[in-house]
Amino acid sequence: MTSRKSLTLIGNYALLIVLGLLFALPFLYTLYTSVLHLEDVNKWAGISKWTFANYRLFFTNDAYNVPKWLVNTIVITALVILGNFIINPMVGFALAKLDFPGKNLIYWIVVASMMVPYHMILIPVYVNVAHLGWLNSVLGLTVPFLYQCLYIFMLRQFFMSIPNEFIEAARIDGLTKMGAFWRIVFPLAKSSLITMSILAFSGTWNSYLIPSTFTSDPAKYVLVVGLNSVKDQFFENTPLIMSGVVLTTLPILIFFFIFQKQYIEGISSSGVKG
Amino acid sequence: MRAGGDTTAERRITTKESQSWLRKVLDSDLSVGWLFSLPFLMLWVWWFFYPFLQSFIRSFQDANFAALDQAKFIGLQNYVKILQDHEFYRAVLHSLEIVVIAVPLQTIIGLIMAILVNQKIKGKGLFRTLFFIPYITSQIAITTVFMTLFKQGTFVTDFIGLFGFGNVTWFADTHYALVFIAILFIFQQCGFSMIVYLSGLQEVPKDLYEAGQIDGASRWAQFRYITVPYLKPITFFIVSVATILGFQIFDQIAAISRYGALGSPAGATNTVVTYFYQNGIRYLNIGYGSAAVVLFFFIILIITFLQKKLLDEKG
Repeated sequence: MTSRKSLTLIGNYALLIVLGLLFALPFLYTLYTSVLHLEDVNKWAGISKWTFANYRLFFTNDAYNVPKWLVNTIVITALVILGNFIINPMVGFALAKLDFPGKNLIYWIVVASMMVPYHMILIPVYVNVAHLGWLNSVLGLTVPFLYQCLYIFMLRQFFMSIPNEFIEAARIDGLTKMGAFWRIVFPLAKSSLITMSILAFSGTWNSYLIPSTFTSDPAKYVLVVGLNSVKDQFFENTPLIMSGVVLTTLPILIFFFIFQKQYIEGISSSGVKG
Repeated sequence: MRAGGDTTAERRITTKESQSWLRKVLDSDLSVGWLFSLPFLMLWVWWFFYPFLQSFIRSFQDANFAALDQAKFIGLQNYVKILQDHEFYRAVLHSLEIVVIAVPLQTIIGLIMAILVNQKIKGKGLFRTLFFIPYITSQIAITTVFMTLFKQGTFVTDFIGLFGFGNVTWFADTHYALVFIAILFIFQQCGFSMIVYLSGLQEVPKDLYEAGQIDGASRWAQFRYITVPYLKPITFFIVSVATILGFQIFDQIAAISRYGALGSPAGATNTVVTYFYQNGIRYLNIGYGSAAVVLFFFIILIITFLQKKLLDEKG
């Protein structure tokens, strides 16, 4: 190896490590602080004892209601993912592999809606939800979000790359088009369906604007909204806040670590090129 | 007998034909296509199209949440009022500032990251994960962490202070709060840009680089004349998505505005979105809020159009 090449390599590693530290620091700080006693915050040495009391407090103190928020978040996230998992692939398949009058119209509906910022329709959606009596209910936070145009578009791109011959072969073997969809396309598209699930999972789990608009009763909060309300009350109690951050973030990280390999592949093959 | 046999056979054929006719109809692209699109279309009409139309209509009305039936048509008055409001221009300016600071930076950092983790090096999986995690983490959580890090007198502000920045509580300072929001956005978004660039880098044909090497092109020249042009459509995708998201920043601003009105401190982080949220939802003035949001929609439309022009003319 020439000295110039090894210099470049050292430079690359140095850059990676600096960037990596910058990105890891906030998370390490969060973990570290979450197990400190309040009087030890901002100390880097001479810490007498670790404690999990901050975490325990979240689950035992009635004022925070964390178990309830957690259940709300899990129910809402599960329902939204389920809806997206059924509805989006069907549209994606119709747009990628079928040819029918009205297809172009549906395609443009998907693409145009993708571009519209959600804030534009937030007020009328809020009014609709209120009219149905769905404020402070699971329905209001799930039904309007059972589909996502961005994911439909992404799945369409991926389904297009599945060779038509696969579907034709299945048809010759006697499968209907719907059968070909469930038996051929769904299993082949596994990695892009996982990609969509991770995005839908983190999007729903982390969403703040909509749940904070559609709920006012603390018993109906989701974790993120709840965490923000705790933060506002106990801003000076950093260890407590940080344990809340860990609690909110942990499920996403677990979900991501389980599926990360398929995820990276899913993005690479779904072809986002304009 | 022969005739009878024929009839049975014919009958069989007819039933078979009618069965296959029914099957053909049910199995046609037309029926499957519409059947598969129907659940989506029904939700879309009620939860997107109808609200979208309502936003336009409401923007020409004097409408209040408390008395929606009494909404009055007032023509362009909401728009006139907004365009005369000094706070609206300030909010637009803040949104533009965030986008102008954060979008190019997150694009460049994302590209650098992608190139770094696309090499044959040890631990690239770890770094990819590390850079991507902020993108799937709650913005409220990240903002909360950064708020404790960027307080006056922490090791972070002490350190940044060495480079001539004020050792202040960033999110409570009118000069720094907006930069703080931009930093949060960059931190979150560059992981996504990295992933998208990574998928693009893997599709650049290898023989282009081989040809470049034969011609004696330096690594920089190869990057400038092969990688960058090849990645142009991806860059456009990243820049436009980040622009749309940058204009929509809300969670971070809501998180730093504790106790106070959205856009704290003193309106220094008021953006188009918080402006519309404050007026339309907190002050219940739907007509006014809708008009703000329609204007916001056109701002994004124009900027996306300009970006497309700009990125098309480059290479």
